[in-house]
Amino acid sequence: MPDHTVVVVGGGVAGIRAALAARAQGADVALVSKVHPLRSHSCTSQGGLNAALAPDDSWETHAQDTVAGGDFLGDQDAVETLAREAPDAVLELDRWGAPFNRDERGRLALRRLAGANRARACYADDLTGHVVLQVLHEQLLAARVPAYVEWVVTSLLMDDGACRGVVALELATGTLHAITARAVVLATGGFGRVYEPTGASLGLTGDGLALAYRAGAVLMDMEMVQYHPTALTGTGALLTEALLGEGALLVTGGGERVMAEAAPRLGERAPRDLLSRSIASRLKAGEAVLLDARPIGGARLGRSFGVTRHLVKAVAGLDLAKEPVPVEPVPHRTMGGVRVDLHGATGLPGLFAAGGCAATGVHGANRLGGNSLLEALVFGRRAGEAAARAAAAAPTGQGASSRLADEERALEALTARGGGPDAAAAIRQALTRTMREQVGLFREAAGLAEATRTIVGLQERHRGLGVTASGRRWNSALVSHLELGHLLEVARVVAAAALARQESRGVHARRDFPERDDTGWLRHTLASFTPDGPKLDAQPVVITRWPPGRRAY
Amino acid sequence: MSYAFYPGCVSRGGCPELYPSAVKVAGRLGLGLEELTDVGCNGAGVLSRAVSDPINARTFAKAEARGLTQLMTICSTCTGVMGGANLRLKEAPAYRERINREFLAEERLAYQGSVDVKHLLWLLVEDYGLDRLRAEVRRPLKGLRVSPFYGCYIRRPDGILEGKPARKRYLEMVIEALGAEVTDFGGKGKCCGFPVLTANEPNSMAMVAAHTGEAKSKGAECMVTPCPLCHLNLDGGQPRAAKMKGTAIDLPILHLPQLIGLALGFSAEELHLKRHIVPTRQVAEKVSLLT
Amino acid sequence: MELIFKVYRHDPTAGTKPALESYPVSLPDGATVLDGLLQIRDRHDGGLAFRAACGRGFCGECTLRINRSGKLACITRVAQVAKDGEVTVEPVRNITVLKDLVYDVDELLWQKIAWVEPWLRPATAQPDGGYVIPDAELEPIRKAMSCYYCGLCDEGCSVIPFDRRFSGPAALTKAFRVVFDPRDGAARERLKRLGEPRGMWDCVHCYEANEHCPRGIDPTDRIFDLRDKAVELGVKSGTANPQVARHYDSFAASVRQSGWLDEGRLALETWGLGRLGELLPMAWRALRRGKLPVPYLHRKRPGAEWIRRIFDKVEKRS
Repeated sequence: MPDHTVVVVGGGVAGIRAALAARAQGADVALVSKVHPLRSHSCTSQGGLNAALAPDDSWETHAQDTVAGGDFLGDQDAVETLAREAPDAVLELDRWGAPFNRDERGRLALRRLAGANRARACYADDLTGHVVLQVLHEQLLAARVPAYVEWVVTSLLMDDGACRGVVALELATGTLHAITARAVVLATGGFGRVYEPTGASLGLTGDGLALAYRAGAVLMDMEMVQYHPTALTGTGALLTEALLGEGALLVTGGGERVMAEAAPRLGERAPRDLLSRSIASRLKAGEAVLLDARPIGGARLGRSFGVTRHLVKAVAGLDLAKEPVPVEPVPHRTMGGVRVDLHGATGLPGLFAAGGCAATGVHGANRLGGNSLLEALVFGRRAGEAAARAAAAAPTGQGASSRLADEERALEALTARGGGPDAAAAIRQALTRTMREQVGLFREAAGLAEATRTIVGLQERHRGLGVTASGRRWNSALVSHLELGHLLEVARVVAAAALARQESRGVHARRDFPERDDTGWLRHTLASFTPDGPKLDAQPVVITRWPPGRRAY
Repeated sequence: MSYAFYPGCVSRGGCPELYPSAVKVAGRLGLGLEELTDVGCNGAGVLSRAVSDPINARTFAKAEARGLTQLMTICSTCTGVMGGANLRLKEAPAYRERINREFLAEERLAYQGSVDVKHLLWLLVEDYGLDRLRAEVRRPLKGLRVSPFYGCYIRRPDGILEGKPARKRYLEMVIEALGAEVTDFGGKGKCCGFPVLTANEPNSMAMVAAHTGEAKSKGAECMVTPCPLCHLNLDGGQPRAAKMKGTAIDLPILHLPQLIGLALGFSAEELHLKRHIVPTRQVAEKVSLLT
Repeated sequence: MELIFKVYRHDPTAGTKPALESYPVSLPDGATVLDGLLQIRDRHDGGLAFRAACGRGFCGECTLRINRSGKLACITRVAQVAKDGEVTVEPVRNITVLKDLVYDVDELLWQKIAWVEPWLRPATAQPDGGYVIPDAELEPIRKAMSCYYCGLCDEGCSVIPFDRRFSGPAALTKAFRVVFDPRDGAARERLKRLGEPRGMWDCVHCYEANEHCPRGIDPTDRIFDLRDKAVELGVKSGTANPQVARHYDSFAASVRQSGWLDEGRLALETWGLGRLGELLPMAWRALRRGKLPVPYLHRKRPGAEWIRRIFDKVEKRS
């Protein structure tokens, strides 16, 4: 069975950055990913990377914007780390060959993204994530890090409370493998697929969260689900917020500016939670909301938003340069994840997490555009380094073979049981409908309680379900079954956490508790696994410099 | 109308039968050709664009200097390479100016960007007209099954079509106008393999065998191509390609002006059909029986 | 919309033959082919194997042949491709099928991309605050990097059907990205590697790649860029195919001297007497029909001296 010092699960920006960091520490590191690294969700990120690179900018103002954007739920030590290390993270990509846009003097160009009080995001047209992912992948090839591609992790190898590897299904052969290691970094991305429609990739099924949660790690801030304000209506295709940053307008069918009241100062450049709620309210009132990109100008649109323009043309037959296009908010980024410290440590020995599946606390109750890829880079590196250090001092795990045999039996039982695809699909559809309707942009107690009951019922049904399988090779039914289990596990925590938080903060909008409540709820929601459902707890928000104040945009 | 005539190197080198055939056919059709004799090889996609763009700008400037804006070629590769260069020079006046300044000025030449590069095939369909061509046919090639083979560069990239997608069907249209029968096959728009004859001969020969073999199996008695480089490979390379594949093919490959010439009443000898590598006797005999 | 999806099904390890299976599919207007495939999984067969990831045109994962033409399933609207209420979905051509619609993309793309060693090897240390570079120099790099490895250029490639080992336009576009990155300092070594058999000189520059690229990168032109750069730096072939450099040099020398091509000389200088001997049957046939021009005897074109001056100037500049 394969053995490495460190195993990284996930091949997106956080995962590759972690692997490179571990390799730089001299660790024998390997990557495991259920899709080829270049197909990771990171490639869909368009807007940019925040970093205080301009001479008249400072890491403090970047941090301050981030804290306010997160509605003061962000842990400020983590936010400080993010903002301080941002310039180096960006410059490292420049050193590795990222072709970021330049200004007229040939220096890194900066664009304005939502919730930032100035232009602070470096970018590569409308393909920033795609380009960053490629550059990292190039470095991964250069470092000759072995990669187990299209291997699906089915469980963590836990030994006496410590993580010492993973069990993974190799899709091409259908074989189950144990990959042993002294430390594991989870970088599997978020769990946006608990919703439908969503801007999330098909694979964002909360795998890392569910695996860690079942193994005893704590999930944090799971109620915080961000909607992307401007998806092309009815398609789930996201129109990058860089459009708004560079001058596009949000108008109603009647020509009224949507953000005039909610954000008189920043307007269309307000944070995503405000944008999404403002747009949703108009839609609910029966008005159409249109994104008008014409103020950006055809030349700039063609040059810097070519992919977006092409996408709109392909899926809706509309031309951004010529006409306003209808938009609606769709679930997008999940702020919750496996709780980690500043080094990606989950609290379970040998287990680390970074990127979309982790909760470092930087995003608080609402993520700012330009901070996601950045978080993946900064905390991916930190987690990789910490994992390599921890692995050097850790013992080899025991019992991998018997765990592998257990897993094998479980899979056999699953495929032996049989079952139609329609049953699994019905469960998934019921889940996403419940999440959309009752754990969506606006929430209230009755709906959330009902959602919890529904999800518990769906979990029951899922447990009784088998898999129709014609062999184990490339058995998508089997993979979907495992993913659906993860989605249900995670969704249950989201509903419970959302029910518990009796206030409105950032993306979490309770109709029955419309105000922010700093006395009662300036704290993180924690969830631990028990066989009877999540056990909720709380932990205080780390505040270093910026006391909670009013958000004014 | 008068045309600047750019015969290219191969029509008098490796395919010496092409040039006289083209001249005879043009004469019979009454195309006024003014041959450019003092211009260079366009680079054929071999020479780097750093060299070939100035050489081609010079050719265009020479045509302009004689008051000609329509430049006729008899080679797909010449058409593609010169057409591509022309596109670059026309679309970017600054680039054209730089080339004029750096390379052409001392010869007192400057390319103004007024030239259109046209293969004989395009010219026949678009300027001359298929009806006029039909009227000139003395010997309809009735019953002759002909497969078209274009050569990449008069089909791709898109820009070369100049907004006329029908250019991808002109060969069939001409074959039919001459009274012959089109034997269609999948390889007609594909690469003949000539460009990698040097770098990868096995690949090159495999392409020859695949395309000629496919046309033959579909029932073609001959193939017609507007590109002498394709001809070099499809005709000249055919015996070797067949041997490497271990089959016989024996598909005669005609130049476009030869096929037209046969229909206009020229003899096989006048069109130098005997200079081919793959024997053309059967085609010549079949045509000679037609009246 | 009520449609029939005809989907390629095959498990090569099961010893059965490939077949197109028909599935009824019911989709809303505006639905994509990927929506249809996902519905087949939901309603008919959860085991239908295909790849898809981002689902909205960013990652390039779901390239398939849809009604006999290569497309990304996630951004191809069913209404635009359906013929008589049918949509046929198959794997791309010229590649090993692993199961159903899943094909060996490792062979098609990933190994080739690794072969071009596409990581930056900086020429100079990075200055504080990052490299200062005019944006115009990075624009072509961004364009090349907008490639999302959908593989459609390789699927349409003229060479790959004859030689699957050819590096192909996608990998060579990736090579362009590093060779032309103004920060890179290893162009010469890279071009030497790319010049080896199965590299850039094996491209027939048929422009199929330009036609097939959905992102407008024009991979054929990027390969020309690489070849032109190789000529400029004097790296005109790899070590295993020196005839490529001889061919270029002879071609250029001939045009430089006389204004046009001396084909006899080109053949002789490219292959040398030894190889010509091997090709003798071909040469003999050509000679007999007057198709092999006698080397070195061809006349200078009028105005040849001006052509020579163009060569001189280009050489002096580079």
